Amino acid sequence: MSYNSKKNIVSMVAGLLTVTAYIVYVCAGNAPTTDDIVAWARLMLVFIGIGVGAVIVIQILFHVAFAIGVAVKERDKDGAKTEKLVASSMVEDERDKLISLKSSHIGYIAAGIGVVAALIALASGVSFVVSLHVIFGSFAVGSLVEGIAGIILHERGVRNG
Amino acid sequence: MKGAFGMGEKLVITNNIRKLRFFANEMTQLELAEKAGASRQTIMALEAGKYLPSLELAFKIANAFDVPIGEVFECKKEEGNQK
Repeated sequence: MSYNSKKNIVSMVAGLLTVTAYIVYVCAGNAPTTDDIVAWARLMLVFIGIGVGAVIVIQILFHVAFAIGVAVKERDKDGAKTEKLVASSMVEDERDKLISLKSSHIGYIAAGIGVVAALIALASGVSFVVSLHVIFGSFAVGSLVEGIAGIILHERGVRNG
Repeated sequence: MKGAFGMGEKLVITNNIRKLRFFANEMTQLELAEKAGASRQTIMALEAGKYLPSLELAFKIANAFDVPIGEVFECKKEEGNQK
């Protein structure tokens, strides 16, 4: 599995951990009252911030672990060559940008479907708090779908155009 | 026009990168990646037929081997469409 596929998996795991932490926090009795939309929105913003921070920290740790892994695997070789190997894996070239573009496109579609679902729910008389959660969930699902699409494209291949 | 490709005809684009690397003093994928300004994963994907490069990268690879681009990449009609 390529470095970029592993990086995608790590991001997805970080995202899932954030969503899990949110669910655990809310179910543990810390949920605002049902009608307090402002409190719910603030809570979601806090967890979005936590999620972004978690992804950054986990990505840094993954990067370090990857470099150590390559260094251990290539320990018989020259240090400069190992450094080049690690650097080459992390270069973002045209193929990585193309895959990032295509997987983002797929992720946005998934998130968009979720937003439309939230609007349909609102139009059907569902409470605003539930719709807010559908939107929050759709961003999480969109991110997950983007990661999966990225992994598939990295492993199976992609064409220009 | 002889050799022309009609609209809607599928093309199969192959490359000789692996062979050219071998004959270029057994150049490694990493060395080629550095010369072409791409990642080693992209070179691997190219050799495995999992990626078609942009024109710019195709020319960079040809320059890395110091050969014309036509010696690196070949284009054929998909079997079944050939006349």
